[in-house]
Amino acid sequence: MTIDRQKLIFLDGAMGTMLQRKGLQPGENPELMNLEHPEWIRDIHGAYAAAGSQVVYANTFGANRRKLEGTGHTVQEVVAAAVRNAREAVGSKAMVAVDMGPLGELLEPMGTLTFEDAYDLFTEVAEAGEAAGADLAVIETMTDLYEAKAALLAVKEQTKLPVFVTMTFDENGRTFTGCTVASMARTLEGLGADAIGLNCSLGPKQLLPILQELCSQTRLPVIAKPNAGLPDPVDGHYDLTPAEFAQAMKDAVAAGVSIVGGCCGTNPEYIAALYEAVKDMQPGARTYEEKSFVCTPTNALTLDGLHVIGERINPTGKKRFQQALLENDLDYIVDVAIAQMDAGASILDVNVGYPGVDEVTMLPRVVKKLQAAVDLPLQLDSTNPAALEAGLRVYNGKAAVNSVNGEEKSMAAILPIVKKYGAAVVGLTLDENGLPKTAEQRIAIAQRILDRAVSMGIPASDVWIDCLTLTVSAQQDQAVETLKAVQYVTDVMKLKTVLGVSNISFGLPNRMLMTQTFLIRAIQCGLSLPIVNPNQTEIMDAIAACRVLSGQDGECRAYVDRFAGDTAPKPAAVASTITLDEAIIRGLRSDAARLAKEALQAETELQLVEGHLIPALDKVGIDYEQGKAFLPQLLGAAQAAQSVFEVIKTSLAEKGGAPVKKDRVVIATVQGDIHDIGKNIVKTVMENYGYDVIDLGRDVPPETIVAAVKEQNIRLVGLSALMTTTLPAMEETVRQLKALENPPSIMVGGAVVTEEYAARMGADAYAKDARAAVEAARRLLGGN
Amino acid sequence: MIDVNEALRYLGASGADDVLRERMQQVARDAEARFRPRYIYRVSAVEHRGEGEWLSDVQLLLPGKSAGKMLAQCHRAVLLVCTLGSAFDSAMRMEQARDMSRAVMLDVCGSALVEAGCDQAQEEIAARFPGMYLTDRFSPGYGDLPLEIQPVICRLTDAQRRLGVHVTPSLLMNPQKSVTAIIGLADEPQRARIRGCAYCALREKCELRKGGHSCDD
Repeated sequence: MTIDRQKLIFLDGAMGTMLQRKGLQPGENPELMNLEHPEWIRDIHGAYAAAGSQVVYANTFGANRRKLEGTGHTVQEVVAAAVRNAREAVGSKAMVAVDMGPLGELLEPMGTLTFEDAYDLFTEVAEAGEAAGADLAVIETMTDLYEAKAALLAVKEQTKLPVFVTMTFDENGRTFTGCTVASMARTLEGLGADAIGLNCSLGPKQLLPILQELCSQTRLPVIAKPNAGLPDPVDGHYDLTPAEFAQAMKDAVAAGVSIVGGCCGTNPEYIAALYEAVKDMQPGARTYEEKSFVCTPTNALTLDGLHVIGERINPTGKKRFQQALLENDLDYIVDVAIAQMDAGASILDVNVGYPGVDEVTMLPRVVKKLQAAVDLPLQLDSTNPAALEAGLRVYNGKAAVNSVNGEEKSMAAILPIVKKYGAAVVGLTLDENGLPKTAEQRIAIAQRILDRAVSMGIPASDVWIDCLTLTVSAQQDQAVETLKAVQYVTDVMKLKTVLGVSNISFGLPNRMLMTQTFLIRAIQCGLSLPIVNPNQTEIMDAIAACRVLSGQDGECRAYVDRFAGDTAPKPAAVASTITLDEAIIRGLRSDAARLAKEALQAETELQLVEGHLIPALDKVGIDYEQGKAFLPQLLGAAQAAQSVFEVIKTSLAEKGGAPVKKDRVVIATVQGDIHDIGKNIVKTVMENYGYDVIDLGRDVPPETIVAAVKEQNIRLVGLSALMTTTLPAMEETVRQLKALENPPSIMVGGAVVTEEYAARMGADAYAKDARAAVEAARRLLGGN
Repeated sequence: MIDVNEALRYLGASGADDVLRERMQQVARDAEARFRPRYIYRVSAVEHRGEGEWLSDVQLLLPGKSAGKMLAQCHRAVLLVCTLGSAFDSAMRMEQARDMSRAVMLDVCGSALVEAGCDQAQEEIAARFPGMYLTDRFSPGYGDLPLEIQPVICRLTDAQRRLGVHVTPSLLMNPQKSVTAIIGLADEPQRARIRGCAYCALREKCELRKGGHSCDD
């Protein structure tokens, strides 16, 4: 559906406020009033239609399965009654929307509700609304872009209804979960919403600057449904009169808003005043800036200037990475991501393709895992369209896809997915004829990809062209052709360009010089998105310098920050004299790793563990027990030990030898408990005593723990609980584990657990902290 | 705003050396710059009934001795919800992946910061009711005040919609650094039952204190 942005559409006002007036009591479920007091609902809708509303929201805001649980009524029943009440009240005078608010439970990674479950919950409501005859769907009061996406996909995929999406912003221009206006606008437009906007949280005056920004970030009609001002905390009254509200809304319409209504505190008088005030207005002219853009909810990245795409999340040629993928060790992948973020990458390329790895399940898992910890936009890199779709589906924000090429088969498979999920896409300038030989051939393929993308509704700004780097020692004439093509695509086609640069120097001595020189020349030709290893200092140095020369690094600030320390005397003199054991004890991660590499020249991996790592950790552990060292120091030492372990694992993976595997331990925070820092502390410390810790996460049902123990023949389980309310779940888990034929040992801990309580529930050990957990593990498993 | 000593105490590290204290200070400055506590509150009249304290404007009964003792002299009470929001939780997820040692320091700084937010709310409330005295704030789980009140306070203040604060079925707050609390309003000075004698308006005249006791013994 295309809605005319020039035409005003009047929505309704608050439902909750009106229901309270009718006699809804605190704690009563408003959606049940559709069944218990249909006359209230009809009255309210009728009054809004009489006041000028052209769309009324059926009373289905919280009519989802979670919120109706225990009421004895189904979603279908409540939604059908709600839509019927609205229809009876407004007849053909107004359209009826099925309304969907937040599910009332936070989605992963903030909460434990999965994206897929949220999608199913919204599907039920949307389908019920369509079946009951709703004219459109409205998703409102969202603060989490991920939840809005789940709802939007549900409506788009499971119904034919047009759909509006409004989110709730704070005066600082973000939602409670930190989502920016740009991220919201460009993600939801990309996913195919018919109109987007703001509702609730603030009055029209406070929302005006946010509405103005929104009008510049989208081509869609913009909705404003604000509160009747701000509530007084003492008496709860909103501070705007209908006339004041209507007056303030004129500014919103002048700013380009074309769909208007009210939220909390408004009533039919407000809507009538609003209607009178703006009905003859023409929504103000808007200026939309088309730009290349990717984002997470909280990191809106406009691709002006030069931005680095980190290439390290890729198993090709990296034994340690391959091993991590095969072992499902996603923590390792997060470490690789964080290192690149800290080194200055703006976007991370994510490739998990490797024999023995099912990309269709692995890519979405890695996307979720990365997005929980790293706030950078991702570029999903795969040749498998099904994997790309699975990854884009669960991505929160606007992602990029790497890649499509000029082959008909590739464009037909990849571009529809890119369009559906509103992603950006890298177009590789090759096709069924193989690698092009000239700049002209590259440009022709780029044009073909662009034309096809645009014909499918993908904006040109979302097409990034890769002109292909070939190895200069093998095909010397090609370097110039690549650079010529980059120049043309930038200057004439006005598109962003992507280029993996390191390939240029393959087979040559002093590779870094060649790579750096090629990178700088490509940037001069207009390369905007180099794909590099940001952990290589020389590469990032060159980028820092180029950003100064292009003016992107205003007042050379980033450059100065990067290099200002260089003239100061280095403290390395101190570090170079310390021993490996001291480096671990003092928590010096990079020193510990360096010294471990040196030590491996003379010692075996096992000697390193037993002769240095464990004794150093024990020293800190004893200090900790005696109150001479504290938790941050214990963990600092554990992390330094971790870096030593990484050196050992890499060394073993390269030799192809079996990894040093110690006893495997399952740990989990019990069902109902979502605070897991305690469990994570135990995990960090235990791993550095060489235990292979299988972390099942938080809010883990007893059955999942039992299944893991049985499947992997685990001999020790660690359980954590924070609240008295979750202790029963801990007891139940212990009971089920002890009922196994060959029960594992169990240690328990957490804020509310005591030694006595642990014994009473049948646990084998109580660990008051991470250090005690290691002691208990040693005792229960022997050795180590 | 963050009391570094309090943060160190939460971590059981009051005896920290200068190096650790300095690191904690840096984490605290960083947390103050990045996270801002937000709060909402709602005021209700209080009736003292046999079965507990009845907050009539919101129709909430606070059962038990603890609430009765705290609100004994009060004719009004404030329901308060304060949170650092989910941005703090996101930062914690990243920091736990990057540097667990720093993460535990950030965690306690978050606790101290949300308490500072409650202090700020309390000052605002005091200014709204000149001439009245505030009790210490107390939360569900204090004494015999049931934790089950937690979701009710959130519902009555519309905390989910207005602050993004959720309570799970097992009564955990999400975002993590969120607090619900009750503050009584009275016409006479109130004893510092929870915060202790150092904060108490009656400390100079208190007979209990002279005898080496406190009113919460």
